[in-house]
Amino acid sequence: MSQDERIPAVLTASVADVRYLASLLRGVHFSNMASVTLSRSGLTITVEEARTLVGYAFIFAQVFDEFELHASKPNNPKPNRPRRATNGDAVSDSGSTEPESDEEEPDAPTVEAAFQINLNILIDCLNIFGTAGPLPAPSTAANNFKRWKRDGEGDDDGVHGEDGRANGGRGRIDAYLAGGDGKRTSMRMSYEGDGYPLTLLIAEDANGPTTTCEITTYQVEPHIDLEFDSETVVLRIIFKSSWLRDALSELDPSCEKLTFIANPSVDGPQRPRLNTQPMLRIQADGTHGSTEMDFPNDKEVLETFDCTQRVSFSYRFSHIVRTLRALSSSTKTSLRIDESGLLSLQFLMPKPQSTGADGSDGFVEFRCLALDE
Amino acid sequence: MRFRANIDNVPTFFRIMQTLEKLQKRLIIKFTETTMHLICNSDTNEGGIQVWSQIKVPSLFSKYRIQSNANNEITLVLSSEALLGALRSASSNPSGLTINPNNGNANGQGNNVNSIETEEVIVRLTKKNEQAMLSFEITGLSRLGRTVRVAHDVRIEVLKPLDAARLGEPLCPAPDVHVLLPPLQKLRTIVERLRPMSNILALRANNSGVLQIAVNTEGVKVETEWRGCTNPKTSEEEENADGDEDEGEKDPEKLHSVVISIKSFLKFLNSHVVSTTTIACICQHHCLILYVYIGDVADAGGVLTFYIPAVIDE
Repeated sequence: MSQDERIPAVLTASVADVRYLASLLRGVHFSNMASVTLSRSGLTITVEEARTLVGYAFIFAQVFDEFELHASKPNNPKPNRPRRATNGDAVSDSGSTEPESDEEEPDAPTVEAAFQINLNILIDCLNIFGTAGPLPAPSTAANNFKRWKRDGEGDDDGVHGEDGRANGGRGRIDAYLAGGDGKRTSMRMSYEGDGYPLTLLIAEDANGPTTTCEITTYQVEPHIDLEFDSETVVLRIIFKSSWLRDALSELDPSCEKLTFIANPSVDGPQRPRLNTQPMLRIQADGTHGSTEMDFPNDKEVLETFDCTQRVSFSYRFSHIVRTLRALSSSTKTSLRIDESGLLSLQFLMPKPQSTGADGSDGFVEFRCLALDE
Repeated sequence: MRFRANIDNVPTFFRIMQTLEKLQKRLIIKFTETTMHLICNSDTNEGGIQVWSQIKVPSLFSKYRIQSNANNEITLVLSSEALLGALRSASSNPSGLTINPNNGNANGQGNNVNSIETEEVIVRLTKKNEQAMLSFEITGLSRLGRTVRVAHDVRIEVLKPLDAARLGEPLCPAPDVHVLLPPLQKLRTIVERLRPMSNILALRANNSGVLQIAVNTEGVKVETEWRGCTNPKTSEEEENADGDEDEGEKDPEKLHSVVISIKSFLKFLNSHVVSTTTIACICQHHCLILYVYIGDVADAGGVLTFYIPAVIDE
């Protein structure tokens, strides 16, 4: 290939209905600036607050109908040479991206590019025709339960071809076309590389207007890295999001501190006996008083409950409240706390017409540092 | 000086006032024998927007009688909110009229304020205690079938003929392009999303049916484009078919643009409640003129004309 030939854009992706994407983005929209990380498995949007709370929205490549990722513009003359995982300096000038090394294949790097973007503007642009409104809260009926992988990030690398095109992406168009209330907004996004804006092409239907947006991208600022230590998990619960949502919405907004208290189950989960200690208690303290909510030792409520020792950690209420938007659109929540008190809340956001448990439903994760007491 | 009329078409008048009330607090109304002019030309208006509208008397009024020393024209200034209030009372809500068989107590409280069906609305120029005002007399039927009379007095200030004569529409050069706008409702949704991004907006159109709205700031560039819009022919264009002041060749693809304040454009878009057809005329880099037709274009029952001056974009 000659030097003059156009280097393909780093990212080209398109989706027929932006609503799902918009709802995932809204889930982490508690701050204006977000950093977007592109990798072969999809996009990750990271938002941080107060060096204590970090929200991640994982948008897998399968959410898109088309997802193509190329190596970003390198400094050396050969644009399409496969990148090496450790070749950090060739990824971008800013030097701010370091490939995450947990689960990549030896030949293909995981992080191709990263940039910061104003999330307000991005969501406004997606919603420009007013049709990317919040998705209705998913039904919590048992038959809507989608199996999902707790450590979902790592499992998708194997299915991708070398150019990052998502498998089965085309087939999903049918899922979007089938049934629908009103207009669908479709979108095509592309990102040329470092220093270039994120370009979105949004259209409602063939006859209607089309909108082109170029959103300025900035250099990534390093986020606080809250590593969740899977080895030292002291509490792991999976339950329906509606329980947590109802619990949190009952709380008075003047609360300042939220404490999660859990006790290991005395007996095996099969024969729950009347325990004096609650399995899970959420305690909220504020200037006006305190509230305690106990969750029973019931499989219907707490579908999975693993607790190795008595756990009690507190978090700032205002941070936990930031998770409400994502919580409202999700079906299942996984709550994990490690021994340092780092809380990890993962919300499964099912796609509106997901064809099944293919692990491609997006999810939003929040990690919050505990208050020092 | 005498004036009285029956307002037949309250809903349309109400919708026009809804648009104008959001624009300017004090409104100038000029009644002539054949037309009602509504003028908003305050300098303090957002973005310098002005409205000059002409409504043919028969499309709103009947039994119209006007008499004055100034060529049978009366020009007055009043509060748009007060006028809107009077019209709101006069608007009857047909749904409030359905007799609910289960609800024996047909008091209507808590359901709808307008629980009367309006039969007649008469507006008169009157003077009480040395204060000139427009008196609205609204007669209606309540749910129980009783006659209800509501009276609204809206204070006005009558302008001297000299001052009235000084009111003139802004001068604009001949527009470069005329284009029929897509439904204002849709336009409004889009412009509302653009509002947090920038203070100014560029509107571009050409004679081939392309209309573009664009915002360009450091943080973001957004451009929305419509294709296939109609470019209506005006009588002026037909006259000027041979000689053109501007360019010898009128390139239909050439985009003419004007930069205006987003807030003033949004104020104009409030007229989506009343418009059926809207034509935008762009005078490149000078101003934007919008003709909002009320009712059928062919009937020409009325036109609201919005003038939005261009913003100098440094």
